Amino acid sequence: MNQTVVSFLAQYEFFDFLTKIFGENSLLLTTLIFLIFSVAFVAVAATIGGLGTYAERKISADIQMRMGPNRVGPYGLLQFLADGVKMMMKEDIMPRTADKFLFYLAPLLCLLGVFATLAVLPVSSGFTLTDLNVGVFYLIAISSLVGLGVFLGGYASNSKWSMLGGMRGASQIISYEIPVTLSVLAITLLSGSMSFGKITDLQAGFITNWFVFHNPFAFLAFIVYFVGAMAETNRAPFDLPEAESELVSGYHTEYTGMRFGFFALAEYIEVFVVSAVAAALFLGGYNLPFHISIDFLPIQFVQLSILVGKALMLYYVVIWARWTFPRLRVDHLMSVCWKYLTPIAIFNLVGCAVWMVAFNGQSLAQLIFGH
Amino acid sequence: MTTTQIDGLMPIVIMMAAAVVLFFGGHFASVILSPKKPTPQKDTAYECGEEAVGSAWSAFNVRFYVVGLIFIIFDVESVLMFPVATVFSEMVKEGHGLFILTEFLIFIGILVTGIIYCWKKGDLDWVRSYQVSARRNQPAVAVKAKEVKKASA
Amino acid sequence: MFLNTLFVMSALLTVVSAVLVLTTKNIMHSCVFLLGSLIGIAGLYATLGADFVAATQVMVYVGGVVILMLFAVMLTGGKDFVSKAQNLMGLAPTMGNAWTYGVSALVGLVFLFTNIQLLTRLGTMSKLKNDGAFESTVNKIGHLLVKDHILSFEISSVLLLGALVGAAIIARPRKQ
Repeated sequence: MNQTVVSFLAQYEFFDFLTKIFGENSLLLTTLIFLIFSVAFVAVAATIGGLGTYAERKISADIQMRMGPNRVGPYGLLQFLADGVKMMMKEDIMPRTADKFLFYLAPLLCLLGVFATLAVLPVSSGFTLTDLNVGVFYLIAISSLVGLGVFLGGYASNSKWSMLGGMRGASQIISYEIPVTLSVLAITLLSGSMSFGKITDLQAGFITNWFVFHNPFAFLAFIVYFVGAMAETNRAPFDLPEAESELVSGYHTEYTGMRFGFFALAEYIEVFVVSAVAAALFLGGYNLPFHISIDFLPIQFVQLSILVGKALMLYYVVIWARWTFPRLRVDHLMSVCWKYLTPIAIFNLVGCAVWMVAFNGQSLAQLIFGH
Repeated sequence: MTTTQIDGLMPIVIMMAAAVVLFFGGHFASVILSPKKPTPQKDTAYECGEEAVGSAWSAFNVRFYVVGLIFIIFDVESVLMFPVATVFSEMVKEGHGLFILTEFLIFIGILVTGIIYCWKKGDLDWVRSYQVSARRNQPAVAVKAKEVKKASA
Repeated sequence: MFLNTLFVMSALLTVVSAVLVLTTKNIMHSCVFLLGSLIGIAGLYATLGADFVAATQVMVYVGGVVILMLFAVMLTGGKDFVSKAQNLMGLAPTMGNAWTYGVSALVGLVFLFTNIQLLTRLGTMSKLKNDGAFESTVNKIGHLLVKDHILSFEISSVLLLGALVGAAIIARPRKQ
């Protein structure tokens, strides 16, 4: 049995009215609710992705003591809309030698991989679209479509820069998936579940209940996860697939207009998704620091804003890192993954397992302060 | 009203459909709004303003393939470990903690042996292991001269 | 109801992609169609209530094997693999000798009898009740792995170790 937004809404009185119209257990009603919430999710995610480009430019301007975009809308906030319209009006150029089918398909694969992860994103205790029993595992699995999109985008362009960027991108994304998976595995070990809802509920209460403070190994796992996730989303200092000073623009060199826009949109939404996942797995997710009945509907919006707030803070860290650290060299990139992050992640996993057995599943805070 | 396990998968299908709709909608808007003035120069692959030479589709280094292979092995390993990790805390509470820990450690230990082997043999290096053969193919005068010096000293 | 929709969608995706894999002349396109087929199979697992197996299918095949295949194609450069129009019948006599034909005929016979066995049971199978109310399989798989099938769990680790070492050795530059 999965906890979904439909089964959450069903406990309210206004739902009886809906079931009278559509009939009990109507598929149409379920589909409609899912559709409405999905469209809302996509709209919010696209806005966050768009604002992400704005935030990137504004924060980089701040770090470099410039003004940044400030013409369109108040403080330049509507810049992303202007950029979107501009992208639609740009001429769509495809190289004559390109593989046309794959050239079309690559941005779609990126979008598919990112949007499919939104379905399990734990935004609040009720509004999560679906809380799958294999949620975390599913999220890791389906997001690998992005890597495929990056590789195919690089291949299909039939340009040397794109090809190099695509190869690098694919090998980087699959390599860094290992430490990320192992870190998530440590959390699964501590919580005994792969469902985002259960993992978040276990962290309810004060800040010491967060899994990041559960034990020293979990703290390390958080850092490994975050670094790995930054590399998986091709963010600086791991942005080798699109290293502009050596590969022109990497895998999307030949992409113009709307198709380039899809790549950028997918990338910025993915950064938000991995930040939200980090917040949900390690930083307590949507939980308020005190106990409150979740039956009251507006609480859902409070929970929503808590999770989005935490995710945006991590988003800020990601952007901050981009404008602070120099880019890694490609062989260093691989040795960071295989010789540092993966062994550390395995060490964390073993550490968490030993901790669980040694202290009977109690967290550090429980050991120090008692219950 | 509750949703069954299978209905819980509906958002995934809807989200994927949303991606497809957005993709084609964006393309449609782009087709309507954007100009279409292709020229022979515009349609070539970008090579920093020079005329594009040859195709980019050439044979790539085997190291990418090796990374892919090692990745799949770790992938399968994590797939096997996820269900075990799910029941881990349950087993600890039931009092079978040491049993499952031993089992888990043996499983990871065998794989760590493999990683250590690959590390020692230089298979995890991005550059070095593939230059060994190049160096060996050369007459390797410099290396030999050093060895000779060491031997004589 | 959604179960049936999902089944039809997944089955169509699987079959259509599989046909396209075979008919496409470009090997890169074949790989991508194979991706569609593998995702469709994940959907089929999901309709059977095997949520963990479905996710595993996506994890291992979509995330790993297809990318590995693309890398393998790129080892030789992708372009030259746009094959010439090939006539399978014209090729067939060169594809093997009496021994290989014998073995493949045997395999074909076994396959045929298995299918007949399965198809004759179709009439009774439809009586199985299936309304999509499955339970999660993850905990069951976990308990089976650590209790009943502990040996196979550990031995699979040895198998993976062998694969890891083998992959490393095959890819290593040969000493001369």
